Amino acid sequence: MITIFNYFAGILKGLWNLLVGLSVTIKYCFKPVNTVQYPEVRMPLPARSRSMIKLIYDGEKDQFNCVACMMCAKACPNSCIKLEGVRMPDGKRRMTTFKLDFSTCIFCGYCVEACGFDALTFVSEEYENTVYRRGGLLQDEQAMKWVRPPHLAPKPEEVAPAPAPAPAVPGVSS
Amino acid sequence: MTDLLLSRIKGDVSSSGTDEYVVNLGPQHPATHGVLRLIVKLDGETIKQTTPVLGYLHRSIEKICENRTYPQCITYTDRVDYVSAMTVNLAFALAAEKLMSIQAPPRAQWLRMIFCELQRIASHLLWFGAFAGDIGALTPFLYGLRERERILDLFEMTCGQRLTYNYIRIGGVMIDVLPDFVQKCRAFLDYFDPKIDEYEDLMTYNPIFLERSRGVGVVTPEVGINCGFSGPSLRGSGVSCDVRKQQPYLYYDQIKFNECLEMAGDCWSRYRVRMRELRECVSIIRQCLERLEPGPVEAKMPPILKAPPASEAYVRSESARGEMGVYLVGDGTPKPWKAKFRCASFSNLYLLDQLTRGWKLADIMAVLGSFDLIVPEVDR
Amino acid sequence: MNLFSNLIAKAGETLHWLYIYLGVARITDLLDNVVVVVAMFGGTSLFVMFLVWMERKVSAHMQSRIGPNRVGPLGLLQTLADAIKLTIKEDIKPVNRDKIPYFIAPIVAFVATFMGLVVIPFDNGVVVQDLNVGLLYIVAITSFTVIAILTAGWSSNNRFALLGGFRSAAQIVSYEVPLVLSLVPVIMTTGTLSLNSIVLFQKTLGMWFVVPQIIAFLIFITSATAEANRAPFDIPEAESELIGGFHTEYSGVKFAMFFLGEYIAIVVSSAVAVSVFLGGWLPFPYLSAWPVPGFVWFMLKLLLMIFLIMAFRWTFPRLRVDQLMDFGWKVLIPIAILNILITGALLLFFGKGA
Repeated sequence: MITIFNYFAGILKGLWNLLVGLSVTIKYCFKPVNTVQYPEVRMPLPARSRSMIKLIYDGEKDQFNCVACMMCAKACPNSCIKLEGVRMPDGKRRMTTFKLDFSTCIFCGYCVEACGFDALTFVSEEYENTVYRRGGLLQDEQAMKWVRPPHLAPKPEEVAPAPAPAPAVPGVSS
Repeated sequence: MTDLLLSRIKGDVSSSGTDEYVVNLGPQHPATHGVLRLIVKLDGETIKQTTPVLGYLHRSIEKICENRTYPQCITYTDRVDYVSAMTVNLAFALAAEKLMSIQAPPRAQWLRMIFCELQRIASHLLWFGAFAGDIGALTPFLYGLRERERILDLFEMTCGQRLTYNYIRIGGVMIDVLPDFVQKCRAFLDYFDPKIDEYEDLMTYNPIFLERSRGVGVVTPEVGINCGFSGPSLRGSGVSCDVRKQQPYLYYDQIKFNECLEMAGDCWSRYRVRMRELRECVSIIRQCLERLEPGPVEAKMPPILKAPPASEAYVRSESARGEMGVYLVGDGTPKPWKAKFRCASFSNLYLLDQLTRGWKLADIMAVLGSFDLIVPEVDR
Repeated sequence: MNLFSNLIAKAGETLHWLYIYLGVARITDLLDNVVVVVAMFGGTSLFVMFLVWMERKVSAHMQSRIGPNRVGPLGLLQTLADAIKLTIKEDIKPVNRDKIPYFIAPIVAFVATFMGLVVIPFDNGVVVQDLNVGLLYIVAITSFTVIAILTAGWSSNNRFALLGGFRSAAQIVSYEVPLVLSLVPVIMTTGTLSLNSIVLFQKTLGMWFVVPQIIAFLIFITSATAEANRAPFDIPEAESELIGGFHTEYSGVKFAMFFLGEYIAIVVSSAVAVSVFLGGWLPFPYLSAWPVPGFVWFMLKLLLMIFLIMAFRWTFPRLRVDQLMDFGWKVLIPIAILNILITGALLLFFGKGA
């Protein structure tokens, strides 16, 4: 007798749980969707987003900030960065060529952190970086040139590890 | 190599007189576990033997780490388990800190705990979707991902990436959280709590789901411990094995949380353990957010990190899948002499063969799903 | 001259043959039937296209996403684009197939389900042919799909397609029993098999059959989804990811025919459920004053039932094959038989109306 009762009770309980499950999906059927129509609506990425690496070009001084100290090339785990510099007559170093191979870059951010001269940065708006040919991923300093707009001047407390308290500068091998 | 495998599989003809045939659940799966190849010997519908073939996702991460400095290795640990990358970052950072005797500041430890627990929630949400998809319900995958996207938004706000964070560093974390992170995190937790109830409504007592998962793939505690099982899968068999309770790291001994145990050891118990762990994670994060105090987020360290010569360190931690261990051998240079990752999925995969013998083909998917396997962890 | 008279004689012979063998009295009768059938065919094809779009939209909104929205306004032409793609696809055929059964199987699957639409009443008396054995005819026609599936599995010359075909056929055959048994109490109450008369009976009864026969309604929906190889019972389709369903070796238009046949099976089963249990073309209760033709009520209820069947697919996990058979034989059939016994007892004691 008990098993017959269990049989029917099991069926009714199963039916009730099925209905509860259906109610969840049908409820979501009439709620607003969670997606945006991408090409027409572009969601803004957060400021710290590691989207695309750019070389900062100083508009006033009309030169790149980079002094070819090679810290970024040593910090990179995959050796993506190849750069050359030259010593100018006034004693300062300037970069002549800078090549970053984005096909091996993993966007870890070590180069940006290692740079002590505010020469490399992530630009969060530029996240559509597909190319038709693989050669397009080996970018030189002209392709990576970026002028910082005035409203994005770096604030002291927001800059990712400031050079002053020396963090473990990664990847400097002896 | 394949000939060797196949010759081991094609054993003797079965006594019932029916032919056995071998089916290849190939590396490209509709199920979302990654590139895992299973060679299944079937007799009609019943499974006789399952042989996993590994190596389709082997990237020799451990060998690569021998040629990179300790901080550079952290970028590779993200890829060992890309579904819950923070926990692997943490395990490596803890091992390196033990090797070099570095102590991270308190704020960094609390932040590490918050991010690891958020990562555990994110990983369990993806598991929930994948498990439901294996069983046949296609909608919970989208629901799990919808909540996971919110967690990834929190991560992106802090460190800039959604999958491979490189956030937990040796000596602390990469950067301090933004001022509105705490409030956004609390808002997410308030939004997420009722969602767990919804998922339970949808799946837990669904009679079809109960039929597919109750009594399937039973792991007894002895078999589990002998085979190196760990994590929520072993807690589903009633064995108390949470590393956060046994050998507390970070500040887990100062936080109150329950270890979720279920006794039956079948797929349904493992499912229940993970759903209860979701709620526990929410409570842990709430406690950590309250105890967060201002301070530095990185320890004072020499600019070039060198391990002492002839030193070694092994650290166990609890990732979302089970016990994650990192073994480092240092030799006085900035690069490790040996780095070894003990991954939970690799050990858990071993039991698949024993558990599915005599069951039907559809049960392989149920058991695999309940183990919460991630193939990059299996192959590294 | 001879040629012309020969032609007239031939035409006369053809008409005489038509009269004898098809019962066509006048040429207008023949044209009448042809027009109705073509309208039926065209209308149903358009409706099925709409249904495929609806399934994609409904499943998308259940999953908090948008679904087709680029091809045509609101994505309505998406199915047309898919149909064109399937038509221009290469027709890949296995070399060692059984040629004639391979060719016929999709046609049988398609035609058999279409034939079920002949007895559905869309409005009072608006039926292609109101057979007085309407329900029996529908149940008999849906058995044709078993032949199509077995033929497809056999002729593909593929061991796994054959296994998938066997499994699918076993499922359909075992779920036909509760399908029929759930309709028996309704037939006992109304005393007729004609669908139009059943709807009229609900009008005189004052309420739809879903109220007294809720159990039969639930059994009917479950068996109908199992008949169409859908929703929680789609092991043949899903296992095709692992091994092979009966339609593995079909591509292009032939695959489209199986696919469309499945949707038309859904439409036919829902239409039968609506007519028998939900009052067919009768207006909703308390809304009978609205000047809306019965056809609109029928379509509304049909869309509601189809929405329910789609919700089943996207909410519930899949049953394993042996659990599926257990469920059909050990749960649905005993409950259906109990339902018949109780209905019969009540009819006996209270005369007409239970």
